[in-house]
Amino acid sequence: MSATLSATGGVSFAPVLERKFPDGSVSVERRPAADVPTVVAAPGSFHEAARFLRDDPAAGFDLLLDLVAVDRLKLDGPPSFRGDERFQLNALLYSTKRNEHLRLRVALPATEPRLQTLAEVWPASNWFEREAWDLMGIRFDGHPNLARLLTHNGFVGHALRKDYEAGQRWLCTDEDVLQTALAAKTDLPEDVFETMTLNFGPSHPSTHGTLRIVLRVDGERIVAAESECGYLHRCFEKMSETHTYTQVIPYTDRLNYCSPMINGNGYARAVEQMLGIEIPARARAVRVVLSEFSRIMDHMVCIGANLVDLGGLTTFWYSYQAREEIYSLLEACCGARLTSSYARIGGLSLDVPDNFVEWCRTLGRSVTTHIREVETLLTKNRIFQKRMSGTGVVTKEQAIAWGFTGPCLRASGVGYDVRKDKPYDGYDEVDFDVPVATAGDNYSRYLVRMEEMRQSLRIIEQVVSKLPGGPVVSDDYRVVLPPKEMVYNEMEGLIFHFKNVFEGIQVPAGEIYSYTEGANGELGYSIVSDGSGRPYRVKVRPPCFPLFAAFEKIIIGGMVSDAVATLGTLNIIAGELDR
Amino acid sequence: MPGRVVTIQPHEPTLGERLYLPLLQGMALTLKKFVANVFTPKTRPTIEYPEQRRQYSDRYRGRHILKTREDGSLKCVACYMCATACPADCINIVAGEHPNLAYEKYPTVFEIDLLRCVMCGFCVDACPKDAIWMTKDYEMSYFSRQDAIYGIPELTEKPSDTGEGGPGYGYRPYYGASPAKKAGQFEPSGLSLLPMTLARNAAINRVPPPPPKPPAPAPAKPAA
Repeated sequence: MSATLSATGGVSFAPVLERKFPDGSVSVERRPAADVPTVVAAPGSFHEAARFLRDDPAAGFDLLLDLVAVDRLKLDGPPSFRGDERFQLNALLYSTKRNEHLRLRVALPATEPRLQTLAEVWPASNWFEREAWDLMGIRFDGHPNLARLLTHNGFVGHALRKDYEAGQRWLCTDEDVLQTALAAKTDLPEDVFETMTLNFGPSHPSTHGTLRIVLRVDGERIVAAESECGYLHRCFEKMSETHTYTQVIPYTDRLNYCSPMINGNGYARAVEQMLGIEIPARARAVRVVLSEFSRIMDHMVCIGANLVDLGGLTTFWYSYQAREEIYSLLEACCGARLTSSYARIGGLSLDVPDNFVEWCRTLGRSVTTHIREVETLLTKNRIFQKRMSGTGVVTKEQAIAWGFTGPCLRASGVGYDVRKDKPYDGYDEVDFDVPVATAGDNYSRYLVRMEEMRQSLRIIEQVVSKLPGGPVVSDDYRVVLPPKEMVYNEMEGLIFHFKNVFEGIQVPAGEIYSYTEGANGELGYSIVSDGSGRPYRVKVRPPCFPLFAAFEKIIIGGMVSDAVATLGTLNIIAGELDR
Repeated sequence: MPGRVVTIQPHEPTLGERLYLPLLQGMALTLKKFVANVFTPKTRPTIEYPEQRRQYSDRYRGRHILKTREDGSLKCVACYMCATACPADCINIVAGEHPNLAYEKYPTVFEIDLLRCVMCGFCVDACPKDAIWMTKDYEMSYFSRQDAIYGIPELTEKPSDTGEGGPGYGYRPYYGASPAKKAGQFEPSGLSLLPMTLARNAAINRVPPPPPKPPAPAPAKPAA
């Protein structure tokens, strides 16, 4: 969090921007220090501004993180919120060279909101634009395939618009969009009779849930591919709008269900930043410890499940044993093995068990053993090496262009880790390394994950040895529920309690993009508040969304069995992908 | 970029690796595990579920129970706090007037749709009367959707919930950094504390929070 709000709104290249756009069509918007710096563009200069931000060395925003569309119809504001400026599209950007975030914003009219596609500026925007079209109805001219993404073909209307009536039901038609899209895309060579279409998923065991890919294969080799998601779409974002800030927490557990704790912590942190409250040191430390354990769990599941797809079931048992042991610790802290709901706005729901430190250390030792076992089975295993090396290669440039973050980006040679580059929750006080590999293939992604687990154990050991005492939740009773004794005995406590439950936490009107390092990469929450007890708009930046969007490009030219291996190392979690 | 970034390079395979020798290490590991699992069944990480059961902590969020007063009436005053706090909208309450004036209100209908419930424990957090707790019962399966809707008879606390062989109390109200917690009445448990679970549950049960109202003259049994 930068210290104060400067005249340039935190944008270091403001003078360059002013010189480039002297007519003021692209300008810096002053934002609170907790939020990311923002540049606003007029619709006409949006594309030019995007190009400038990517290409100018003073800006260099080469990685598109997310596109957040907001319908401001019901926000307090000028009548233009109902007219010329009803929709807002925010492109969240990151500069890998300068380690800075930026939001590029444009307002769009209520009728026919349309924009030129960003595909040639940031290729990652392809699926983000489809999502914005699907859920918000913003049309992107020149988009190669502006089809619905999360909802099905028979869906009428755009679900996240504020005037969309929730609860309507639409019948899914049987028409297979994917095959049509594939047919349109395939520029088949003359040996058209030699290729065949192969349907892969949504209930294929190696799609780990609900992904679907249609492949055009020439023998074993993939000629063209088209993928789709949305089978597990549970309207997280729309549901959030009708729930209080606290009530959203259980839903965050169901995003990345392999590391639910990280999601909850990230969400709570976003709201805490909007409220401007500090959480107690103990809560911060516990969040870090459990987040790191969740990261280990997530990586273990990724590697274990990947090996099942490759035909090695043994690794799966050893890696899942680590996960089961970690689940026991999580359950003793929060009361559920998977659906943790541990974070609260302002801290944690309960203090950790008395033997927490001891337990973490024991667990650290046993997880180390399991990591070693997995390593014994895999790292030097020639069959595994041959299977993984050189397959699913993503170069550094591709990884950045496709919006990768997390282990997959680091395996391609970019050392961006939010914990290191934008430290939060005291990650700057612990000593750990960020593993980076350069090859960008499946084997590198495996190696990076293995090393990250060891680094996570280092973080846990350091934090646990200095675990601060004191409360685990803030004592600001406008935000957290007062202790029960106060509720039972004091009028004031009861009033706080009632207001908190019935009205929800009153978050001041505003907007934030808050990001933490999820197990798969940068997990971002864009929250817009209208000052009431319920979020006006919540947009999650799921780390595996851009990963899966790029999947159909990575696997071209490879074999079907390599596609399975690649899908595993990218670690696509459908709950997070579809929300 | 601040911090330390280490580059991992996949090493060139050695002669041993080219000869697939590390596979033997892997096989040795698997064999070791196999032998251990066969001859020392106690170290097996798996649980043979219906016969063996995993011990859960005292915070486990399982099926709900409604706590009762000493006279057997429900502590619930039908204030709708739990129903409001519920993110899954699974609690249905209809309030009625209690014949005992000291209690004022009580729920004539209190239903939890356990198929909708997400087991988040927010109802327990929200209750201002210490009336709803959770148990460690996680075996909830039904033959019809209607069976999953638990009413007052199913939800009211029974001796079988906490007695020998019962699930025992799970998630319950958070007392915060209060003296009650410091005195050890509400302390969390880990694996090592598990044998004490039932004893502590009984202790907690005996020390109800101070009544918010002056004691009623003569508590009467509510008309059903």
